[in-house]
Amino acid sequence: MSDLTALVIPVFNEAYVIGSVIDEIRRTGDYLIIVVDDGSSDDTWQQARQKNVLALRHRLNRGKGAAIKTGILAANLLAADIIVTMDGDGQHDPADIAPLVEPIRAGHCDVVLGSRLLDRQEMPRVKVIANWAGNFFTWVLYGIWVSDSQSGFRAYSRHAALIIDTRADKYEYDSKVIREIKDNRLRFGEVQIHTRYTEYSMGKKHKQGLINGLVTLFRMIWKMIA
Amino acid sequence: MLGGIHLYQVVVVAISSVMLFQGIKEFVSRETGQTVLKLLVRLAVWGGMALIAIYPNFTLFMARVIGIEGNINAVILTGFLFVFLIIFKLLSAIEKIEQNISEITRKQSIHDAHEQIEKLQKEIKEKRAKE
Repeated sequence: MSDLTALVIPVFNEAYVIGSVIDEIRRTGDYLIIVVDDGSSDDTWQQARQKNVLALRHRLNRGKGAAIKTGILAANLLAADIIVTMDGDGQHDPADIAPLVEPIRAGHCDVVLGSRLLDRQEMPRVKVIANWAGNFFTWVLYGIWVSDSQSGFRAYSRHAALIIDTRADKYEYDSKVIREIKDNRLRFGEVQIHTRYTEYSMGKKHKQGLINGLVTLFRMIWKMIA
Repeated sequence: MLGGIHLYQVVVVAISSVMLFQGIKEFVSRETGQTVLKLLVRLAVWGGMALIAIYPNFTLFMARVIGIEGNINAVILTGFLFVFLIIFKLLSAIEKIEQNISEITRKQSIHDAHEQIEKLQKEIKEKRAKE
């Protein structure tokens, strides 16, 4: 029996690219595609629906982490064997899905993290520094060093998807998953992924910038005390 | 002052005890989001406040180390403690409300798509039965 792999794509105002992202994914394999529209003000949800995928819609914008959790919940309801999360802005290359899920399929890992930093040549220098800072604080707060703690391109086994439980709704979700890996003693690995930094994806306002990064760090520290 | 005990000492120790009790209870009952590091931070913050309230002379040692001296500090410290406590509780409450909103939004989105999900569940079941 072949494994059912679900792709969870959290999106916010991605009407311009979501259709082509879905088409590109379909050309690389037979996946169950779940798009979670996180309260977009444009017609992202309608665009996704037209592509005959499971298109879920948050009536309010709740953050990337919240959208991923909704997608994972839907994938669990559909009894997916492997769940992959990827960004909906076209930065992630669907050709990387197969190598990402392979360690789970082989039974070597529960979680596989896509890493942009295993090959730094593709990444702008400012992003390398920001990611290193993210990795450092993730290590300080959660105790595991990974090469790309902020990557949204990840794969989870069904076991991991059921067990991972975090309250993080915003960008700190990616780091909180690292903590869950440690707390639940999940087996994890890292696989190099290729990122396409287009004018469109780099120009988006809601991406994790310096201010958002500091807010994310504050949220991570705050949740240690509160 | 009553028998050498000041009112602020009772208040601070009471508040710290409640916060410490809650922290330890949440950690022991393994509630979501509770980690050893979080427990240690809580013990340091609230335990530290209780320590200063019980042993005020500890502040003299701190004042010597930090380099700030004077009784007015006690007033400022109490003010800070009060404001910190209010902010702490407010932010905690806001966070809880935010989580509840997310949970309602999630349930609503799944409910809105329940027909499509049920159809997919059927298709997947049939596909697996064939295999």
